[in-house]
Amino acid sequence: MNGHSTVGWIARGTAVGGIAALVLVFPLTRSGIEVNIFTEAVIYAIIGLSLNVLLGYAGQISLGHQAFVGIGAFTSAYMTSVHEQNFVAALGVTMVVGAVQALLLGVVSLRITGLYFALVTLAYGRMAENSLFNITSFTGGSTGQAAPKPAAFASDYRYYYLCLAVLAIVLFIDWRLTSTKTGRALLAIRQDPRVAASFGASLKRYTLIAFVTSGVFASVAGALLAHNTTSVVSSQFDFRLALVFVIMTVVGGLRSRAGVVVGSVFFALTDYLFDRLHLSVAINAIPVLPDLSPDLAPLVVGPLLLIFTLTRHPGGFGEMLRPFGRWLRREPSPHTEIDLRDGERVHA
Amino acid sequence: MRQALVIGVVAGSGYGLIALGLVLVYKSSGIFNFAQGEFGTVAVFALWGAHSAGVPYGVAMLLGLGAALASGLVTERFVVRPLFAAPRVTLLVATAGVSLFAIGAELWLGHSQLRFVAPALGRLDRMSVFGFHVSDQRLLVIATLVALAVAGAAFFARTNLGLAVLGLSQNPLATELMGISAERLSRFTWGTAAVLGGLGGILSAPLAGGFGPGFVTLSSLIPAFTAAVLGGMNSLPGALVGGIVVGVAESVTVSSPLFSEHVPGAPSVVVFALLVAVLTFRPQGLLGPRSGLAAPAERAR
Repeated sequence: MNGHSTVGWIARGTAVGGIAALVLVFPLTRSGIEVNIFTEAVIYAIIGLSLNVLLGYAGQISLGHQAFVGIGAFTSAYMTSVHEQNFVAALGVTMVVGAVQALLLGVVSLRITGLYFALVTLAYGRMAENSLFNITSFTGGSTGQAAPKPAAFASDYRYYYLCLAVLAIVLFIDWRLTSTKTGRALLAIRQDPRVAASFGASLKRYTLIAFVTSGVFASVAGALLAHNTTSVVSSQFDFRLALVFVIMTVVGGLRSRAGVVVGSVFFALTDYLFDRLHLSVAINAIPVLPDLSPDLAPLVVGPLLLIFTLTRHPGGFGEMLRPFGRWLRREPSPHTEIDLRDGERVHA
Repeated sequence: MRQALVIGVVAGSGYGLIALGLVLVYKSSGIFNFAQGEFGTVAVFALWGAHSAGVPYGVAMLLGLGAALASGLVTERFVVRPLFAAPRVTLLVATAGVSLFAIGAELWLGHSQLRFVAPALGRLDRMSVFGFHVSDQRLLVIATLVALAVAGAAFFARTNLGLAVLGLSQNPLATELMGISAERLSRFTWGTAAVLGGLGGILSAPLAGGFGPGFVTLSSLIPAFTAAVLGGMNSLPGALVGGIVVGVAESVTVSSPLFSEHVPGAPSVVVFALLVAVLTFRPQGLLGPRSGLAAPAERAR
């Protein structure tokens, strides 16, 4: 009855085909500079998923994620340009650095939780920004560090597909993470650590797994970001970026892969869309207000969307996309089902 | 070294002023208010705007405090109140959003250029400590902080309103049943906290080498939080002491050649280390009781 008809199949096929065309074919029709922007959006999706592991699965908020991404970016740039390693070797080192860093912060998070942990990560991000990113031999000082694209993916288009492939791998790992024992343990720990512990779920072990996964995702995203623009400058990674990361993940919808990806892509493309849709022109036409440059758009629009999401629509984009996902998978609509997620919000 | 002490005490007083507002909001509602710094920046922008338009300094200061009060009340009405029953982490994210919005709006309306604002009191050499002249503005910052911390502590210890605020944080339902309006109290605490942030901003901005969008958040929010944590997060005098400890720790480190030459961004390293150390080894704060955590009753989860 529901979607078993030929029309239903055609509609579903068109929807999937349309999305695939938009993601896979549309960028080929655009200029290299625009493809760089799309690549950045793909990388933002990886960052959003990284934050989703911490915030959504482990229930720990990170306000210092720009440091994770930044350290990944600088490590990869440093390895490829100063030590002249190839891209894959550099990526390996970057992942190890990201994992170790996340492991250390995870150990801290076992003692310091909730609001205090958010504060620690904020201070960590600021420290990385002011201190680590100013070590000239590592980051190249104010001129930045060069990060050449890998030879096999030197064209902007090829690099875009490389990033898409990495995103697919990250999505796969994330899916495995949630659908296995680890995912169920994390869910139980988030809902009630004591009950989970009494059933033998080791808080320590699973929290650290979540942190390391998140750290590796973030450092890989950083490396991809560095080589996308072929150079990294420390001023790219200031604390406003960390807030934008948190906002895009929450607006996207915690624990919803599709939502987080859409949310992250939306925030990465805000300034591009602002420019394309001539929204800044429209705003600049208002006589009293000064000109709004598109790169400020995420800072002004993002928080408004965040407050709207938190107060009116806690599920974010993910919740809005859920009926569409059900339709695609031919699942019946859940009229009789009791939605356990009802009323669920960001958990500490 | 001695000069570093004096500089540290003055800088720390600025942190202490911001920390007072953080403690007030935390004490009354268990919220970590990441917008506290931006209440200060908004006040500084209003002061600068009014003063450069020819308004007398005293009136401009009042306008600055008014702007801070307005932003505090707007935040309370449109962000805090709708999320009153939400987990505290949700509110933390929301106030961080408010802070980002304020920075975005300041960049939009004011651009990122560096501005300068004159001090309220101009004389530079009234007092000399360890052979180091302390300007009147610096004395004003210290005096304001001490007066407010003492007044705040007395407010919570001796007045009915103070007791009501504490009651609300411990048991909102029982407090409401006593005929106390939670809404009015929430407005009161956020308004007061915003004015404290505004005061911190407009008193310390003239001492810094210029200000820009996000000035107070970038320069003082993390040290102020560290100060509040050092004070046990619940104590106004604790925030004062914590602020001075953070300020002195920063300036002593910067003045020692070992750090200033080999470690870039030494102050933020020190603040981070201090924060982690306190939370790990003495989570109840320097002045807190020997046992018991500073964590409040995590309510309405």
